[in-house]
Amino acid sequence: MKFLCVPCDSPMKLQSVSPPESGSLSVVYACPECGYEMAMLTNAYETQIVQSLGVRIGPEVGTQASNTASPSSSGCPFSAMIPGLASGEAQTAQSADAIAVRWTAAAEARLAKVPEFVRPMARTGIERFARERGAIEVDEKILEAARDFFGM
Amino acid sequence: MKGYHDIAGDGGSGILEQVAQQRARIADGLAGVRHLVAVGSGKGGVGKSTLTFHLASALRVRGLRVAILDADFNGPSQARIAGIREALFVPGSHKVALPRTGNGIGVFSMGSLIPEREALAFESTAHGESHTWRATREFALLGEILGAFEWGTLDVLMFDLPPGAERTVQYADFLGSRTSFVLVTVPSEVSRGVVARSVAALSKGPNRVLGYVENMSGYYCRDCDAIKPLFVSPDSASGLEIPRLGTVPFDPELARRCDQGIPFTELAETPVGRALERVAQQLMDSLESTTESSR
Repeated sequence: MKFLCVPCDSPMKLQSVSPPESGSLSVVYACPECGYEMAMLTNAYETQIVQSLGVRIGPEVGTQASNTASPSSSGCPFSAMIPGLASGEAQTAQSADAIAVRWTAAAEARLAKVPEFVRPMARTGIERFARERGAIEVDEKILEAARDFFGM
Repeated sequence: MKGYHDIAGDGGSGILEQVAQQRARIADGLAGVRHLVAVGSGKGGVGKSTLTFHLASALRVRGLRVAILDADFNGPSQARIAGIREALFVPGSHKVALPRTGNGIGVFSMGSLIPEREALAFESTAHGESHTWRATREFALLGEILGAFEWGTLDVLMFDLPPGAERTVQYADFLGSRTSFVLVTVPSEVSRGVVARSVAALSKGPNRVLGYVENMSGYYCRDCDAIKPLFVSPDSASGLEIPRLGTVPFDPELARRCDQGIPFTELAETPVGRALERVAQQLMDSLESTTESSR
C-alpha cells in the first residue's frame, strides 16, 4: 500500500506508528512537499493480515534481540510489528518457572535466531535442559552441550 | 496523477523490502540442498507422513544426506514417527540446529514443540475470521523455518505436506519451481479421484510431478507371509496420468513402529521394506533424470 498526496502528486512518507489500541494501529504518513499529514487507522482484520505476513511496520531500531522478540511471549500481538515495542520476553518466560534461569547476552543473541513463533517453546526447553544439569544460567556452553546431547 | 507503479518504495513501511528479505533468507538456507521433494496427495489418511519418513530412511541407508520438514503444522506427525518428540530447537552461532534421528535424518516437526493434546494456535485480535489470515500466517512461519534452520548440505529435503488439493498447490507456489512432487494415494476410486484433482492443479504450474505411490496396496500377512488384498479396486492402473513410482503394502508392524517412533531399518528384508527400497530407487532415478535434463 502506498499513499499519494494528490495536490502535490508526491508519495507520502511514513512518520510514525502509534502503539495499538483495541486491535487498531495508527500509522501516520506525511507529504514531504507540503507537510500535510494523514493517519491510516486499521481495523483488527487488516492489522492481523499484515501481521500474518511476518513483517514489521516502519524502519528497524534498537538491538537485534529487541526487534525479533516474540509477540506471543510479550503478551502484545503487535509487538513484532512495531520496532522497539517488543520487550520483556525473558522476564515473562522465566517468571513461569520456580527457579529462574538467567541467559547471558550471547545466549540471548543466539536465541533471537529462533523463529519468533517457536522461540518461547525453545527457550523453555533449553532452560529445562540447563536446570536438569544444575545450571542456573544459559550460556553458549549450555547451548553447545544441548546440541551435542541431541546429536545435532 | 501518479499511479502505484510510478512510485518507488513503499513510503517507509519497509514491508516490500522485508518480504524480499524473507525470500532471500529462504533461498540462502536452501542453497546447499540438491533436491526438494514435496510428498502430498490432496487426500488425507493415505499415509503421506509414514511414507515420507520411510522413504527418507531408505535414502539414508543408501548414504544420502536427507532431512524432512513436517509442513503439516496443524497435524504434525513426523516428531512421533521419527522418535524426536523431546527434541530441542537449539540456536547455534549462525542458525538453529536441526534435530536428528539416530540414523542421521534431520527432522523439523511442530510435534517436537507442541504436545499432542494441544492445537497450534496463533495469537490474534481478529476473532472469528481466521480464514482470512490463517494460511498467510502459516506460510510466513514456513518461510521463517526455512530461513532459520541449518539445512546445510543435503541430497534431498522432503516436505511432508498437509492434506487438501488446494494446499498442495499453495505449497507448490510457495516453494517454487525447484520443488518436485510425489503424490500418494491408496487403491480406492475416492482417493484416486482426489489425487487426480491435485495432478490437474499442479499441471498448471511449473513444478514437476515425479509420479505417485500407491500406498496400502494390499496388506502383508505375517502368518501367511503373503500380500493379501485390502481394497477392492476395479483398475489397478489407477487412471492417474503420471508415472507410478511403486506400490507399498500395509504392514501392521510398520504402523506399530511408527506409533512408537521405532526405526524400521531392521525390517528392510520384508515385502514392505523391499517395496520402499524400490520406490526410493524410482524416486532417485526420477530426480537424477530431472537434474540431467536441466543441464
